[in-house]
Amino acid sequence: MSLIAQDAPGKTILLMGNEAIARGALEAGVKVCAAYPGNPSSEIIGSLSSAADALDLHVEWSVNEKVAMEVVAAASFAGLRGLCAMKQNGLNVASDFLLNLNLSGTQGGLVVVVADDPGGISSTNEEDSRIFAKIGDLPLLEPATFQEAKDMTKWAFSLSEDLRLPVMVRSVTRVSHARGNVRLDVLPRPSTKARFDISRPRLAFPPFPSHKALHQKLDRARTLVESSPYNIYRGPNKPELLLLTSGSGWMYSLEAVMNLGVQDRVGLLKLSTTWPLPANLVLKHLKQAETILFVEEVDPFLENNVKELFAQHCMEIGLKRFYGKAAGTIPSAGEISPEIVSLALQGLLKVSYKPRPEEYTKKAHEAAAELVPVRTLGFCAGCPHRATYWAIKRALTLDGREGFVLGDIGCYGLGWGPSGFSQMKTIHAMGSGAGLAAGFGQLERFGLSQPVLAVCGDSTFYHAAMPALVNARYNRSNFVLLLLDNSATAMTGFQPHPGTGRTATGKEAPVLDLRVICESFGAKVQVTDPFDLAATTDAMLKFLQDREGVKVLILKRECALVRSKKQKKLFQVEVDPERCLGEACGCNRLCTRVFKCPGLYWDRTTGKARIDEAICSGCGVCAEICPASAIRKEVA
Amino acid sequence: MNKGLKGLESKVLDRSQCAACGACLSLCPYLRSWKGRTVKLHDCDLSEGRCFSFCPRTEVDLDALHRFVFGKGYEDIETGPVRRVVMARALAPEFTRRAQNGGVVSALIALALEESVIQAAVITERDAELLPQGRIVKKREEVLSCAGSSYVTGHTLEALNRGPWEGNERIGVVGLPCQVLAVARMKMSPLEERTPVGRVDLVVGLFCTWALDYRPFAGFLKERFGDNPIRKLDITPPPERLLNVTVGDELHQIPLDEIRAFIRPSCQVCLDMTSELSDISVGTVEGEEGWNTVIVRTERGENLLHRAESKGVLETRAYPEDKWTHLKEASILKKQRGLNVLKDVQEKYVTLPQRVIDAILKEVAS
Repeated sequence: MSLIAQDAPGKTILLMGNEAIARGALEAGVKVCAAYPGNPSSEIIGSLSSAADALDLHVEWSVNEKVAMEVVAAASFAGLRGLCAMKQNGLNVASDFLLNLNLSGTQGGLVVVVADDPGGISSTNEEDSRIFAKIGDLPLLEPATFQEAKDMTKWAFSLSEDLRLPVMVRSVTRVSHARGNVRLDVLPRPSTKARFDISRPRLAFPPFPSHKALHQKLDRARTLVESSPYNIYRGPNKPELLLLTSGSGWMYSLEAVMNLGVQDRVGLLKLSTTWPLPANLVLKHLKQAETILFVEEVDPFLENNVKELFAQHCMEIGLKRFYGKAAGTIPSAGEISPEIVSLALQGLLKVSYKPRPEEYTKKAHEAAAELVPVRTLGFCAGCPHRATYWAIKRALTLDGREGFVLGDIGCYGLGWGPSGFSQMKTIHAMGSGAGLAAGFGQLERFGLSQPVLAVCGDSTFYHAAMPALVNARYNRSNFVLLLLDNSATAMTGFQPHPGTGRTATGKEAPVLDLRVICESFGAKVQVTDPFDLAATTDAMLKFLQDREGVKVLILKRECALVRSKKQKKLFQVEVDPERCLGEACGCNRLCTRVFKCPGLYWDRTTGKARIDEAICSGCGVCAEICPASAIRKEVA
Repeated sequence: MNKGLKGLESKVLDRSQCAACGACLSLCPYLRSWKGRTVKLHDCDLSEGRCFSFCPRTEVDLDALHRFVFGKGYEDIETGPVRRVVMARALAPEFTRRAQNGGVVSALIALALEESVIQAAVITERDAELLPQGRIVKKREEVLSCAGSSYVTGHTLEALNRGPWEGNERIGVVGLPCQVLAVARMKMSPLEERTPVGRVDLVVGLFCTWALDYRPFAGFLKERFGDNPIRKLDITPPPERLLNVTVGDELHQIPLDEIRAFIRPSCQVCLDMTSELSDISVGTVEGEEGWNTVIVRTERGENLLHRAESKGVLETRAYPEDKWTHLKEASILKKQRGLNVLKDVQEKYVTLPQRVIDAILKEVAS
């Protein structure tokens, strides 16, 4: 039984923020849900997929965010409610469609959930996606609590149907990935029949009148958001300082104000929509205070919108002192915290505040270090990517022409660091590795003599690398694409993709074979097992010497974590201490000093390498690299 | 001063001083060869290592090495120790047919194997792409398949380190002067362990003026002749000095100046034309096609040559005095060229007593 599909109105359960969002969609009677996985948004569709059968929903992992939004828009055009979810980068991908969909308008409620990642904890970038709401003239809701995550998602659907517009719900990591109590409401079972009304074509153009109509919808949205029950004010009528916040800033601000004991001096205004603003509400509170502090993640979005509003109305409400990101009161990037808000308030209110003593922090870190093994950021034990990068390093070093690897998004993105032997030299958007390679592959005529390699995961390939490959083939580019096929969207939690033969709801699906696809593009394709280091290195070297056209080397080996869930270890691995050369000339700790699989460790007392039984996944690759054949693998 | 891989890297690899002898390969996972280059795959932080210790281009004390091999210092400054010098050629046509000159090297190694002087030999073969590499041979046919030269250095000694060996074979090595020097370095190194160099009982040295760097040379040939297989490479003696390239049935002649750019930079500091640290050295004879110069340096070398003569494997002739003078001149000239280059190099690559250096340079003056 799916946790979020409980038909238990009034019951309070512990839900992750993303599950609360999913539950909100269910309570709104959503019928079609789609996403491409991306943290911190992945669990929204993940949890909805578990409710799909029971509630008769269509839930899918789409190949990318733009397609996901299109799939959901189709449901909306046919009168059904739909939700798509994505991380901030995903909205960039989907934005082209979104910024036409706003003009064509929607029918059934359409909610776009974007989970931002302040601090870029699980992202290549830090980005505030809220600006898209402003570009697209779309309502933007920012839940601040777990209950709001559910309730505001539900509200977003009715708002969307009121306005016939997509509505954005913006979450952040600390809302999406934390857990809290959520009180459930009624779970409806809508029986709306899907039908596309052909008398009302959904066209974005002619752009000028549709843009004007969109602005009229936005004006209506302005009035609707004024009465949102999720706009909250706490504090005196005439506060010394008005703290304006939204979303995750709310909890941080509440905590800071309580810790400092300044409840009677600070007015806290939390807005449920940062676009469009509930202008009357904001102006009413602005009038009451001279000093304003903005607390929000990441960019000064609320701050700038309020300042715009202020500029329009300054004659009525008088001069203000604004503090926030522009004034440097709040850091311009990264996550915020109660500490950051407390420090800001301390300065503005001249109250004494003792931050957590450094000694305490030091001790806490020490205590934690005793419980957590020291490990660098890197690949899991038995990860095929470690073997792949080992082969890449060998091939590029042997080749000796300063060949380089263009990176992409996935676990293998760690290839820039020690775990990937620092081989990866670029990382940007999904599919950018192949796209950059298509470009680099044209530069030989301008003197580029370095071989060009790109890495791309299987899921990333379907997502955005395919057009780059088509482009490369068509324009006669020359490079090697290493397609790291680990049969999973591993980094976001092993979601299935078109190569896995399973759908989001566990149904059988046709496998779109990577080899067949690449060969149909006219690429030269070879498949190797990255655990076979010699064959993989040779295949790379062979392709590196081939200066004609697009070469695709498919490195096929299942993700170690997926494998370990299904089957026992491939090999039982052990180190023969008699043969282990340790620090002697001839080895100098190759396995623990250079290869660095966490399944191996250096035993200082004996001066030999050892296998950590608890961590070793039994891939056997270290047995291949050991120069003394001291690491033995036996079929487990 | 690091005497491990770091030192090797900064002193030899990064300064293009690698002779591609192969002595540092198959000792550890950090160094590999590819297309004629020695490649460092990973960093090693040992302060001392066999790679540095075995390398013929790190810190070579020639005087001590000669003392170690011959029991006397670097005294015979012209061509190294000489017990006997002859002109020779193999009598069996199977050797001369494929040979660069008189087929003496192949014939001697085949004889040594057949007579069980050695049970295996490390020699150099070339693959279809002309890339030389070390090969362990145990039979006459295997020796024959390796005959000929491509004027390119390969990592011959890698085969010595890599094996596979049964563990009790007496081993012969055929090598260029840098490789012969490396074998002596290996034998003398206090770090030597786990290699079979202690079982190397016969060292046959080859004459060498310089050798070519594989990758650019192979690229040059490919540009000229495409994928057509090259059957033979031969450099004609002065004053002509042409590279004869036999492609299929056609002979192409390339002026030597066109390939000089591919000479390995490390050859410029080499002081050895005749493989002075060998048991027996073999080279061309100027103006005598189909014959080899053979310099015997040790008792072992002398025994082998005797055996070859008495078994009718080789035909020998007294070495003409004028040619011997000429050969010594050429050898000394290579030494002065090397010393002059080394004089301007900050790093110390070769140690020789000053009086020896002076003597060599004086020979030049006269």
